[in-house]
Amino acid sequence: MMATEDLTQAVELTEPLCHLSELVDGRSRGFDPLGEGRDTMFVVRQGERLYGYRNHCPHYDQARMNWKKDEFLNGARDRIMCFAHGALFDIASGECEIGPCLGQRLTSVKLTVRDGQVWISGPYVPGRPRRSS
Amino acid sequence: MRIIGPDELVFGVDDVAACREFLVDYGLMEKAFSDEGGRFEALDGSAFTIRKRDDASLPAPLPTANMLRQTIWGVEDQATLDAIEAELSKDRAVEKLADGTLTTRDDANFEIAFRITRRVALDLPAELINSPGAKPGRAPNVIGANDEVEARPRTLSHVVYFVPDMDKMANFYVERLGFVVTDKFTNTGPFLRPQANNDHHVLFMIQTPEYMQGLEHVAFHMQGPTELMLAGSRMVQKGYQSFWGPGRHKFGSNWFWYFNSPLGTHIEYDADMDLHDGDWVERETPMTKDAAQMFLFENVEKWVPGGPPPKK
Ligand code: FES
Repeated sequence: MMATEDLTQAVELTEPLCHLSELVDGRSRGFDPLGEGRDTMFVVRQGERLYGYRNHCPHYDQARMNWKKDEFLNGARDRIMCFAHGALFDIASGECEIGPCLGQRLTSVKLTVRDGQVWISGPYVPGRPRRSS
Repeated sequence: MRIIGPDELVFGVDDVAACREFLVDYGLMEKAFSDEGGRFEALDGSAFTIRKRDDASLPAPLPTANMLRQTIWGVEDQATLDAIEAELSKDRAVEKLADGTLTTRDDANFEIAFRITRRVALDLPAELINSPGAKPGRAPNVIGANDEVEARPRTLSHVVYFVPDMDKMANFYVERLGFVVTDKFTNTGPFLRPQANNDHHVLFMIQTPEYMQGLEHVAFHMQGPTELMLAGSRMVQKGYQSFWGPGRHKFGSNWFWYFNSPLGTHIEYDADMDLHDGDWVERETPMTKDAAQMFLFENVEKWVPGGPPPKK
């Protein structure tokens, strides 16, 4: 099951994620846009194309995917990988092609580039939704 | 049958250099390494071997994305190996290697092997604590909070598989190899211990669809909760991704802290697991958050009340 995001908790960001030139072509980088203490999303750069996804594996609710800071890609760097159980995802579509979440997809984070700065388009939901008490 | 536990796990990996970096930082000792792969040991010699995914000497991969290629079980003696060979040869091919190791497949199609254990007996102190009403664990003037300790994994603790048919899998280990069920999560899977090990479990399984089959996680035992917390915090400081923990499980009582790894599985530190013998009566409960852990924490950055000392 893909976790549905609770938009009532979404925050409008006032800062860009980074400058486009800080993203290395062919690599991934994690971001913590709301200062939650861990990277709740990541960006993969392929030439001028940027792909943004939440750092949540569709296999387990809230599961973190990278093995180390900024490491979200497999050895060949041609797939996104969840390093919890090895699921492999198509970089462009976020679809799981092999592994425990076969047929499911990553939650995308839409990005825009303005004046060389990378921004999240629209509001952003915290990585761990507040629990109702 | 006098099986002790997992002696060694063999992986076919994507990125040998990344796995080396991870395993050394995790605390295993590098015993051999080249661009083709390497061997990394806990204090007692139980180990991980990694090779490139396309290495022809590796057993065939599962049809899933999983990187585990073989689980090697350590047994006490030759008589046990002979008994395993006789038992498993009844209905499957069992190959005997030059060093006496037996290789075959289990009923869920995982590659398994058996050999006389290469674990060396450890003679190391337990974690020592002072508890009111009890004799002191540490003598006067012996310090408990020591940032300098190595915090090395002592031994391979347990393996956990995703399996398409938990009953078939469990029956193979119970009926053919003499494992005992200690506890069970209903409709998920049983915890199993072999006859030559009193640990609550060396094997657990989670029932999944076929396309998930593989290694769910593997764990090494640490000295105690303090070393587990120290080793885990060091991993976080180095930028590794904590997956679950630190916390304490209920079944087995072991403290846990799981990390993602470039081996495509999470690797757990555990400490202070329950021991059982023949008097133990199996428990069963549905797998829920409450059943899976007694408590759960999350690492945050270090902090100090009042901030740094005032500037002069
Ligand atoms: S949590 Fe991502 S593959 Fe299991």
